[in-house]
Amino acid sequence: MRHIRKNTITAYLFLLPWLIGFFGLVLGPMVSSLYLSFTEYDLLTAPEWVGLQNFIEMFQDSNFWQSVRVTLGFVLIGVPGQLFFALFIALLLNKGLKGIGLYRTVYYIPSLLGGSVAIALLWKNIFGFEGIVNDFLAILGIEGRSWVSHPDYALYTLIILAVWQFGASMVIFLAGLKQIPGELYDASAVDGAGKFSQFKSITIPMLTPVILFNLVIELIKALQVFTPAYIVSEGTGGPSGSTLFYTLLLYQKGFSYFEMGYASAMAWILVLVLATLTALIFFSSKYWVHYENGGS
Amino acid sequence: MQIKNRGLIFSFLGVFLLSACGGEENADSESEEQDQSSDADQIELRVAWWGGQERHDQTLEMIELYEEKNPDVTIEAEYSGFDGYFDQLSTQFAAGNAPDIIQYGGNLNDFVSRDVVLPLDDYVGEELDLSNHDEAMVEAGTFDDQFYGVTLGTNAWGVLINETLFEEANVSLPGEEWTWDDFDQTAAELTEALDGVYGTEYFDHNGFGIFVDQRGKILHEDGELGINQEDVEAWFSHWEAIRDHGGVVLPEIQAASSTTPEQSMIVQGEVAMQLIPSNLYGAHNNATEDDLAFHIHPYNEEGRHGVSLRPSQFMAGYSETEHPQEVAEFLDFMVNDPEATEILGSNRGVPVNAEVRANLIESASEEDKVMYEYVDWVSSTSDSPYVPNLPGYNETEALFQEMSESIAFDQISIEEGAAEYWQSLQEIVENNTED
Repeated sequence: MRHIRKNTITAYLFLLPWLIGFFGLVLGPMVSSLYLSFTEYDLLTAPEWVGLQNFIEMFQDSNFWQSVRVTLGFVLIGVPGQLFFALFIALLLNKGLKGIGLYRTVYYIPSLLGGSVAIALLWKNIFGFEGIVNDFLAILGIEGRSWVSHPDYALYTLIILAVWQFGASMVIFLAGLKQIPGELYDASAVDGAGKFSQFKSITIPMLTPVILFNLVIELIKALQVFTPAYIVSEGTGGPSGSTLFYTLLLYQKGFSYFEMGYASAMAWILVLVLATLTALIFFSSKYWVHYENGGS
Repeated sequence: MQIKNRGLIFSFLGVFLLSACGGEENADSESEEQDQSSDADQIELRVAWWGGQERHDQTLEMIELYEEKNPDVTIEAEYSGFDGYFDQLSTQFAAGNAPDIIQYGGNLNDFVSRDVVLPLDDYVGEELDLSNHDEAMVEAGTFDDQFYGVTLGTNAWGVLINETLFEEANVSLPGEEWTWDDFDQTAAELTEALDGVYGTEYFDHNGFGIFVDQRGKILHEDGELGINQEDVEAWFSHWEAIRDHGGVVLPEIQAASSTTPEQSMIVQGEVAMQLIPSNLYGAHNNATEDDLAFHIHPYNEEGRHGVSLRPSQFMAGYSETEHPQEVAEFLDFMVNDPEATEILGSNRGVPVNAEVRANLIESASEEDKVMYEYVDWVSSTSDSPYVPNLPGYNETEALFQEMSESIAFDQISIEEGAAEYWQSLQEIVENNTED
């Protein structure tokens, strides 16, 4: 008995750093931002209770809807794009090539670097007027433009940046592919199944739990993307609002326009949307995710 | 096993206790510092500003001199480029750990109205000597009869011209009294003659202020807008015409450009003309091999240039600073001390202290002389009033840029852009003036 209690105390002590972090840096700020979302707070003077005004204002604000459009566009193209790409590379790397370990490492590296400020700056130059993309296009005889700073293309350069960071999903897909029992392929081959029908009827269904996992993770990441948009447009969300991501507008409202109450309200709407979308995906998974043991 | 665990618990507790003790100790020494600030104890002041490399170098040198002369003061410099400067500052204000001394632009009023700027009336005439300062510039730092910010310099907007490119294009330099039509034509000729270089940048919200004055209006006064939607529409149409004639840089190039002199479009060789405040002439000129000249802003048809003298930047204290007196002393040093002002030169505009100005003109470089002459000329020819930035500056500026870009990229019509700007502008101004 005494042993158990001592051990419990020890366990809590080990947990303490995490607990302090959780209560101090996550739960505390969340509770206070929930309060702030019902106030008018300019960061510099005391918050003032305004009820639902921030939420009402938000739904009438054209900038808010612009940011929703931009973010949804990014998510709807970027997330499937990244998952397809990751799966494609994972299938290639699942073969017994020579030096496969090296390839896997190389393809994973973008995921480690992708969220950084340096890469965002690099991106800005690659897709800039005098960037390497235009040099390449010039060889093909196409006159380039400044892709990152044109409202018709800026968002796509950021989507490419997101897709390029496919490493994490790729590794998980690879692990999933390794889990598929070889007998399934052997048996189907005996029955005369070709490569494509094997992929369609064995690989994909067997991978659905992994696809579900990657989908949820990438969706959550994509809805919260911030760094590249901030760096590439220097915090403006420009040109003409074409990269005004939800989180970027939230940041502008809070820290540039002195509307922290509004920003907190935006943060809570984002949390609600994220939770709803995740719940919907989990709910729908009943119909498309195949678990080997019957999905218990 | 038991002993091991106990040891572990003790070592954990030990670490916590130690760190707690450490905290205590710090707190003690800090409060002591406050109690005897006149004693030899070190006072630490944090100073924040934005700028290019030249300004950083000069300001750091000035700070070194101050520390030399005031051995009891240590100064921690926090400097960066303009992008993100005010975002960071807002965060620091919210956290209650803003620097003691802060450089502001025309948005000083937005911070004064939120009570984070140190009122300086108690120190004026004591630690802080304003007796030699231009009255208008003291006025510019005064809000509701209380003095808040020392003006670091006076400047006036003008057009920076790359003479090397003009020569290359074989386009004649503009005369002293050029109009918008001349400007339009010159810009188009430059684009035509040069490969990969455009005649001019788009003048953006700074140019809009001048344009409004040329139309005989005042952007805003006492929280009331002095313009209407037609003025906004006129501005956008005016630039649409210049763009149609070919003189204006592609919007995607301007959208990717930076305002830092070293990375500006004119220094990067993308445009031949750019609107800049006079204090940045030297910084631009030093950043390129090309010959840059500083020219008068184009006149309108009635012969009004619309340029006014403006405070370039302010230096002000943080209302929660623990050392207000030292803050005032530092501000005084920065604008009045002969040695300090010589180091700082005119990077932040023509000094507002008449003695300092006289002193600096004697030893001024060619570039500085150009700037002094321009400011002098504006002050003698202009009856355009100084109009502080719009309330909610960060937001109105971003809005103006967004509408300008949407129009330039043909995403919305001029009428739609002007209407949307006008409507949002009224809301923002109202939000930021209610008190």
